[in-house]
Amino acid sequence: MVAPSGGSLGSWDTKTIVTNMFPLLIVLSIIVLAAGITLEDAEEMLNEYGLLAVMVPTMVDMGGNLGAILSSRLSTRFHLGTTELDPRDRVLWGNVAAILALAATIFTALALGAYALGVLFGFALPLSTLLVISLVSGMSVAVIAIVFSFAATYASYRLGIDPDDTTIPIVTNVVDVCGMVIFIGVSALVLGF
Amino acid sequence: MTTRDVFWSIYREALPILLIALGGGLFAGLVLEGILESVERFPGLLVMVPVFLATRGNVYGALGGRISSGLHQGLIPPRFERNERLINAVVASFINGIGISIVIGVITWIALLVIGWEVAAVYELVGIMLIAGVLTSVVLILGLLALIFTGYKYGYDPDNLVGPIVTTLGDIFGMLFLLFAIGLVEVIV
Repeated sequence: MVAPSGGSLGSWDTKTIVTNMFPLLIVLSIIVLAAGITLEDAEEMLNEYGLLAVMVPTMVDMGGNLGAILSSRLSTRFHLGTTELDPRDRVLWGNVAAILALAATIFTALALGAYALGVLFGFALPLSTLLVISLVSGMSVAVIAIVFSFAATYASYRLGIDPDDTTIPIVTNVVDVCGMVIFIGVSALVLGF
Repeated sequence: MTTRDVFWSIYREALPILLIALGGGLFAGLVLEGILESVERFPGLLVMVPVFLATRGNVYGALGGRISSGLHQGLIPPRFERNERLINAVVASFINGIGISIVIGVITWIALLVIGWEVAAVYELVGIMLIAGVLTSVVLILGLLALIFTGYKYGYDPDNLVGPIVTTLGDIFGMLFLLFAIGLVEVIV
């Protein structure tokens, strides 16, 4: 995941940076703990199908990456004074379509990459199974990332908080957790575990 | 700009970066597959994996954002030298990165106790996180600064470099040092 600028960026004092950021880091760690507990709970399935473990870091990161790309674009628009969320706005739909297309490309590539590694290291699953798991969970995460990015950027704008400081890190971490939970759920469903 | 232009400009700009992150993620996944064998020895280890990975992004992504703003504003020079702002920012990242690693070990232990799952000793979890946290801090901070400075000198906007650098380096070195830390704690304890 990518959290661009936590804490007030203007500060170059060690103590200020730490006191600004550390509480947020603790909150974020507690949020992502949910992903960890999901993973620990799925230990048996991961032991049986090692390829799932190979996909885990990407699944944890990629939803947050997509959310970060969209959020930082939206927050730039707000900073520039384009404050309306108009459903007829073509640029917004261009953003959303690009995020979905990126997700489709990346999660297809993830399935292909995992399949190739599986063949190489001898823990293969059928490519079709990997594609279903990767694309179903990946596209769901992308949709969640889009909804959260819009909601959070808009809310922080209305509340007068700079989205770069807290909103984007929180969105990306929450989306990371969703990615993990959905991935484990979809895998269990597809593999009948 | 038409919708089509917006679409293609975002897609073209982001895809190479995301593919690099995917490569790093797959490598980290292979290491995680290797770590699965140690999970029996240290219950709770898997809980810490996503939290540890996410924290790398949070701490060093913030450092990268700060450095790239500093470069844009001309507050810090694009090279390794005794600059007070640079040193302060780096020291703060060390404290945040290592501090939060210890916190991860402790909250994982507490959470598993609360839900009543089997869990390793708290000093084992904290020990693993501390070793992995210190080693990743050093490599990520030096690597991040070197890549941002080099990119900046060659005319790349550091804002576009920070995210992918942090994710990719964080995944690869985070998991490698986690594997190393598990091995070390296994030997010591």
